[in-house]
Amino acid sequence: MKKVLHNPLALIGFIIIAGILLLALIAPLIAPYDPEAINVKAILLSPSTAHLMGTDGLGRDVFTRMLYGSRISLMVGFVAVGIATAIGIVLGAIAGFYRGWVDTAIMRIVDVMLSIPTFFLILAVIAFLTPSIWNIMIVIGLTSWMGVTRLVRAEFLSLRNREFVLAAQALGAKDTRLIFRHLLPNSLTPIIVSSILGIASAVLVESGLSFLGLGVQAPQASWGNILTDGKEYIQFAWWLSLFPGLAILITVLGYNLLGDGLRDAYNPRSSQH
Amino acid sequence: MLKYLIKRFFWMIPLLFGISLISFFIMHLAPGDITTSEASFNPKASEESRQKLRELYSLDKPVIVQYGLWVKRMATLDFGTSFASHQRPVFWQTKDKDGNITLGMIQEALPITLLINVLSLILIIGVALPLGVISALKQNQLADRAITLFVFIGFAIPGFWLALMLMYWTGVQHAWLPISGLESMGHENMTWLSRTIDTLKHLVLPVFISGLTGLAGISLFVRNGMLEVLHQDYITTARSKGLKENRVIYGHALRNALLPLITIFGLSIPGLIGGSVIAESIFAIPGMGKLFYDAVLMRDFPVIMGILTIGAVLTLIGNLLADVAYAWADPRVRRGVMQ
Amino acid sequence: MSNKPYQYCLKKLALIAIISLLIPACSDSSSNQANNQIDYTKTYPASNGGTLIDAMTGEPSGLIAMIAGESAASAIAGNIFNSLLKYDKNLDLTGELAQSWEISNNQKTITFHLKPNLKWADNQALTTDDVLFTWQKVTDEKTRTPYGSDFKLVIKAETPDANTFRVTYAAPYAPALDTWAGLHILPKHLLKDQDINTTAFARHPVGSHYYKLDSWKNGQHLKLTRNVNATQGQAKINNLLSRIIPDKAAQFLELSADNIDSMGLNPIQYARIFPARPDLNKNIALYKELGNSYTYLGFNLKRKPFDDIRVRQAINYAINKQEIIDGVLLGLGEPVASPYKPGTRWSNPALKPYPYDPAKAKTLLKEAGYEDHDGDGIVDKDGKPLNFEILTNQNKEREMTGVLIQRRLKDVGIKANIRVLEWASFLGRFIKPKEFDVVVLGWSLSLDPDQYSIWHSSQQAAGQFNFISYNNPRVDKLLEAGRLELDPEKRMKIYHEFSKILLEDSPIVFLSAGYGLSAIHKRVRGISNPAPPAGIGHNTYEWNIPSAYARTEMSEH
Repeated sequence: MKKVLHNPLALIGFIIIAGILLLALIAPLIAPYDPEAINVKAILLSPSTAHLMGTDGLGRDVFTRMLYGSRISLMVGFVAVGIATAIGIVLGAIAGFYRGWVDTAIMRIVDVMLSIPTFFLILAVIAFLTPSIWNIMIVIGLTSWMGVTRLVRAEFLSLRNREFVLAAQALGAKDTRLIFRHLLPNSLTPIIVSSILGIASAVLVESGLSFLGLGVQAPQASWGNILTDGKEYIQFAWWLSLFPGLAILITVLGYNLLGDGLRDAYNPRSSQH
Repeated sequence: MLKYLIKRFFWMIPLLFGISLISFFIMHLAPGDITTSEASFNPKASEESRQKLRELYSLDKPVIVQYGLWVKRMATLDFGTSFASHQRPVFWQTKDKDGNITLGMIQEALPITLLINVLSLILIIGVALPLGVISALKQNQLADRAITLFVFIGFAIPGFWLALMLMYWTGVQHAWLPISGLESMGHENMTWLSRTIDTLKHLVLPVFISGLTGLAGISLFVRNGMLEVLHQDYITTARSKGLKENRVIYGHALRNALLPLITIFGLSIPGLIGGSVIAESIFAIPGMGKLFYDAVLMRDFPVIMGILTIGAVLTLIGNLLADVAYAWADPRVRRGVMQ
Repeated sequence: MSNKPYQYCLKKLALIAIISLLIPACSDSSSNQANNQIDYTKTYPASNGGTLIDAMTGEPSGLIAMIAGESAASAIAGNIFNSLLKYDKNLDLTGELAQSWEISNNQKTITFHLKPNLKWADNQALTTDDVLFTWQKVTDEKTRTPYGSDFKLVIKAETPDANTFRVTYAAPYAPALDTWAGLHILPKHLLKDQDINTTAFARHPVGSHYYKLDSWKNGQHLKLTRNVNATQGQAKINNLLSRIIPDKAAQFLELSADNIDSMGLNPIQYARIFPARPDLNKNIALYKELGNSYTYLGFNLKRKPFDDIRVRQAINYAINKQEIIDGVLLGLGEPVASPYKPGTRWSNPALKPYPYDPAKAKTLLKEAGYEDHDGDGIVDKDGKPLNFEILTNQNKEREMTGVLIQRRLKDVGIKANIRVLEWASFLGRFIKPKEFDVVVLGWSLSLDPDQYSIWHSSQQAAGQFNFISYNNPRVDKLLEAGRLELDPEKRMKIYHEFSKILLEDSPIVFLSAGYGLSAIHKRVRGISNPAPPAGIGHNTYEWNIPSAYARTEMSEH
């Protein structure tokens, strides 16, 4: 962790993410309005002291919706990546530990999944399952585990023949013990890095789905659908698209900086300083 | 080399089999069946006509038979005709008895998407390579910082937001570039040259938007690859042998840093094709992404299945090409040292 | 390595990046379009020529309207094909291909007389053979059209001569004339050997109206050009170019940049954005017309407690309709109390929407057994609180309507959640299988009063329009009677009575009818303003673009 904090990029990323998580956490405490309360007398007000980020086409307070939207957007990121990472670890561990035909089979599945354009797959599945926040999280998760699988497998393959593993095995350690006590803990860093980068891309995917009308559905606020609501007024009510756009940009930036910084910090080959 | 090629080619068969399974599974995700989730109010459509659809798509047969028929369709690239678009053939043109040719939907959309993606790849290579190299050579200097920041913003910005802002800026405020579509009014009356220029102008923003993420990713990749290579022993050796710095960098380092890039390009194809949905929807470009999105909104199953399959096949071909290129560039692979 | 310059530089760069992104969003008056200098207030005599460019979000699947069915197809095909009859600007039926028509004394036979010397765009004669052929096609079992059933009521269709077409119904069918006004007549000489479902004609149509298809670039545009053989008169504008621009925001950018001439607006654009933007007002005129649809809240009558009329009426009283018109439509709409255009013959002037009366709503709920027994603010009956889900599709106005309703229902102790869904899921998963409590949706205000398919109890199957499962024998009888009665006065009484029952029964809550709002470039002249009942589109053939205002176009070689 110290290493990370010495990397300025990672530090910035860390601060951004911590700040946004904090805001999401205390959203109900600091939100000045009800996120779904519409006010027909206050449509499209520009930012002021009463409405820090203005109001939208339904007279809702954009700042409040941004705060609540951060919860949805971050939740989509976390749950989707949680699912992907869980699948990736299980499949990657099995493939990397047992090798042989199991490995071949799993890696062929990975190849198949990687050859179908992911966004097409997500769109098709969400359309058939009806867009809802849970379906979106599950589908993003189910279509983005391949990277983690490859990563875990590669780590396991390289760790598998290290002395400490061989020694443990010689001492009669069970497979599960080997995996959970020896191999997995030593592969954790790249998994964490890839999860952090995964959250960033899940937030972007959600905003893209919102743009296409297949993301988190109104009246629930997500950054993606606030931004989509604002796109028709981009020349007139700039605050409607600027704030959610910047929020997505900064958050994704934060995750990328942190993820990349972590990778640099723990990857001896590319850390030159 | 030939042996490698043949082997590599046969690798694709299990993948195609897997793709057929996944696409078939998706087709059966919808509760009920595909005829009940059509996206139109059609109170007068009789149960009889639904039955016709079911027969057409073999929905009345056992699942295993349906799958067999689906594989057969995939193998012959026969995806039938669209539900939604006046029975247009999904994949390739058909000719009726009077000799009228109806173009296939994918047949028309694919070249447009391929053109945009090829241009994006050219943009990515043309811009990301120098950026990555500069970034690596000027490590931790101002240029490196600026490029890195650009890279991260390129990763992080929602594409459609940037697209709309650029459309407003270059299209409405300054009239530098057309806003959407592929052609200006009167395009068909222009000379060959001005037609090409017209189309290229329309493609500037879409290509930039669809290439942006790749551009960011590749320049970062090149930077890190270069850095890694520059610290390898053989570079130190080359330097110590007194080779000129330029020669070291461009002759040895860059070449080795670029090798993995070939694979990366192969892997980036599905992302580019998938990413075309948003760019094409916002810029009103009738490519694969727009076609797919429309099909999804209309629940037009034959088109959805056709595009999923063709998209996957394209990716496989892209990967094959990348692997072949890699084998050609790296003798170790060719000789089968590395698998 | 030192962090300071690094961070400074990063910050500065970030600032530059963000500012450069802000520029397009913030500066709003620096448009430098060439035609800002043109003065669009001058008057010119109507002249021929020019191109009118509009945008549509979707592409037609084909241009045979009976097969295609979607609105994009009807909009384009309406410029290419004629029907026997049409509605004039006051929404009265008049002849289009037909010169005149008679109804027999027993009211079962209609005889149409075609105008003389009608022609197709390819210069072939248009005769009653074509009309008969079209009728045969629309009633053919093999034709995949949703519009066949109206025409299947014709038991005999005949052509005594090339200018006379006679149809006989088994029983008098009052909506008959309306159906003939909606059927595009197709050319027999081009279609007789074709499968109408798949024919290439759908993409290369030959019609008889003002325009003919010039080119169709898939996914890009359809270009219509004047039909010189048109027998309905000659349109003034040379070309109609319909660009396919799926994204509404992109459409608006194209309108601002003067790349398209017209588009539909939403109330916010009409009432808030345009008034605040003189640069847009200089070039673009706004038009308002009577809307073609109304918004309603519909109950799933198969579900409790919506089978209880008191609950339905209570909800009706609890909703403040004026608030919806003011808030959602920004005043650009009217209240409705029946499914007919306000101010037209079929709309019963005696009917008024349920007033906003929360006290009455509470009384009715109490009568129905709903009271707040446990003091949680939500009324309940037998221990079950009254809560349900309001379902609507992705439509900002409907969503907002839902939210306003939700708030008013809360005032009377009803808890409602809102769920918004993408259209295809909405229809396929919820409406067709009737898996909903309450929906906010719209119906079009049809010109013929017959609403059999929406309200008759026989129309409840999956995919049919009576998805709220309305079943009222009195309404059924009136709807049946209305179809048999051709006398307008008697017909009017029937539908006034029907509307009255419908309002009392409250199977849906009538909410509002929004105006049709559009923006059209000022270079386009000849548009009726204020719009007549039929809307601004009734005389598009008279619209014209003075040559001084026409876009510079490449000349045809």
